[in-house]
Amino acid sequence: MNAQMLSLNQLKQIALHREAFIYYIFFFVLFFFAIVLHDTAFLTLSNFMNIVKQTAPLTIMAVGLTFALAVGHIDLSIGSVVALSALVGALLLQHTGIPLAVLGALLVGVTVGLINGLLIERLQVSSLLITLGTMGIITGIARQITNLESVPIINQDFTFFFGSGKVLGLPILLLWTLIIGGCAYIILKKLAAGRHLLAVGGNPVAARAMGIKVTRIRLYALIASSTAAALAGLLYAGRLHGARYTLGEADLLTVIAAVAIGGTSLFGGRACIVGAILGTWLMGIINNGLILSGFSTNEQMIARGVILVIAVAIGVKEIRNG
Amino acid sequence: MTLSRNLHSCNNYNFISKSITFAFTLLVTSFAAPLLAIDFNSIKNADKSENIKLSQQQIDSLKSKKLTAALVWHGSSAWVSAVNQGAQETFSRFGIEVVAVTDAQFDPAKQVADLENVSILNPDIILSLSVDSTSTKNSYRDAISNGAKLVLLSNPIEGFIHHQDYVGIVTDDMFGMGKAAAQLTMDALKQSGKLGIIYHDAKYFITNNRDHAFRQALKSASNIDIVIEKGFVRESETSNIAAAMILQNPEIEAIYVSWDSAAEGVIEALRSLDRPDIKVITHDLGVNNLLDMATNRNLYGTVADRPYDIGATMAKLGAAAILGQRAAQVTIVPFDKVTKTNITSAWQQAFKKPLPKLLTQALQQ
Repeated sequence: MNAQMLSLNQLKQIALHREAFIYYIFFFVLFFFAIVLHDTAFLTLSNFMNIVKQTAPLTIMAVGLTFALAVGHIDLSIGSVVALSALVGALLLQHTGIPLAVLGALLVGVTVGLINGLLIERLQVSSLLITLGTMGIITGIARQITNLESVPIINQDFTFFFGSGKVLGLPILLLWTLIIGGCAYIILKKLAAGRHLLAVGGNPVAARAMGIKVTRIRLYALIASSTAAALAGLLYAGRLHGARYTLGEADLLTVIAAVAIGGTSLFGGRACIVGAILGTWLMGIINNGLILSGFSTNEQMIARGVILVIAVAIGVKEIRNG
Repeated sequence: MTLSRNLHSCNNYNFISKSITFAFTLLVTSFAAPLLAIDFNSIKNADKSENIKLSQQQIDSLKSKKLTAALVWHGSSAWVSAVNQGAQETFSRFGIEVVAVTDAQFDPAKQVADLENVSILNPDIILSLSVDSTSTKNSYRDAISNGAKLVLLSNPIEGFIHHQDYVGIVTDDMFGMGKAAAQLTMDALKQSGKLGIIYHDAKYFITNNRDHAFRQALKSASNIDIVIEKGFVRESETSNIAAAMILQNPEIEAIYVSWDSAAEGVIEALRSLDRPDIKVITHDLGVNNLLDMATNRNLYGTVADRPYDIGATMAKLGAAAILGQRAAQVTIVPFDKVTKTNITSAWQQAFKKPLPKLLTQALQQ
């Protein structure tokens, strides 16, 4: 019995350390590039601000996806929501002001999340299949509404608030990351809603027995995921001074990888917001560092994979030793 | 041309679909802002790549400056690799260090990030093809604000002023290529016969212009009768289109297809219909179709550009700009009419590489 308790405690410790995993990887990669690129501008504040700006939409998507994963759902539609919300926002900006454009864009996210959630819960079908389907529908709509044309944004207030602006010397995209990340952290760590999310993802039967409204919680999580993607679309639109139907297309796998490396379980019950943010920054640092290294594009792809595998291996070793 | 290269040089569906959507967008952009597009007149008035030369004295001067360059590409393909190789080797001859090479994977957001990352290195020269003029414009502007000389491949950037914002644009002679394809068709048909056309039915500047120039040039061949024209959007459609075309019009003696990998489907259909007598004419170089040509089957001829020379010309223009030379707005790179007799030399001209072994063996048989 004691032996069993001991092993359970050990397992618990490892599980607790699982959240520390991203820190090992993050600092290993940072240290690696700091040495390799000591003679370039890698270790400059402006370069790190660049990385933060480049990864801000991904970070917001990762934070949103963490909610969906926490309840045991995967949301493959987030990339397409990015494109559609950016296009809706950019199109509305041509006729209305910023508030309505932002509202319209965010409504895209809320609506898609609601539809995803209702279909998954009512039909009791895998979230993977439903969101794969909605991804196709949304991509088609995004292509249709603009006839594949880019929609430019000339509203400077919008590009300031969602892209190139600075507040107190800090890029506004960093502030968006911190605000959304901070809110998500509080929800998950400090509020009952966060505990309910994890309970639903960890053991839905037990959660239901405890009186938690499992279906509603899952619905909220999917809405959070889609709405975050919609906000990411606005950030892309602000940063690029325009929207295009391909926005977010290539981000899905990067976001899933970042969230998983960050310590969130892909099967529900465990979520780490700080890890998700560090995970996306890690991806940005690797991308930036490899470009500054002067590798060819093929070499960059190989090196990216090698660094990730080595970093993950070292992270696992450190945790086990710890 | 760049796009069609990308379209057929990769089997990955995602890549192809990205390429197709990229094609659509480029065309939409070119139509939405007609002043931006390279038209027949700009090609007619363009400088020729063979005129871009640097003296030994200029090269020595470049070497003493310890310059750097960054290559900010739109995607990856065999064609882009050849452009990249041409640029890298030329820069190397001038003592210019290539400090970064990026691939935007047809994603404007990635290209913006690439430009930001590259700008940290303060390169003196940037060679690039913009994925989307609207989204990437500001990042190009930031990148050149530090004094970098920007040389563009094929696509202009909205609002950019020649000499002030960029050195010049290097591109293919798409009108000449269409005309050359028409000449190959006339040769294949010995000046008279029945022709089918399978054209790119999407609004893409380069393929549309090549197809249009092909039709225009054929007007002078009064004995060539165009019996049917069918459009395609995806390369995968061409096999069915060709099969239907031949069933409806068995008298067809030659088929023109917009580019090489789209022609693969046509040749496949002709094989399954057992029609080795029908000749195919297209653009670009692909190993599969060249094997068909080498073994005297359906492919009669193709018109190929020179991606290595495109990269080399871009590098030369960037280097010359550092020395204060002013380039023409558009510089065109020559193309080659390719038939069985000159496969080897055309391949080497395009890629500056030896012919693949399989092709060499096929030609020797």
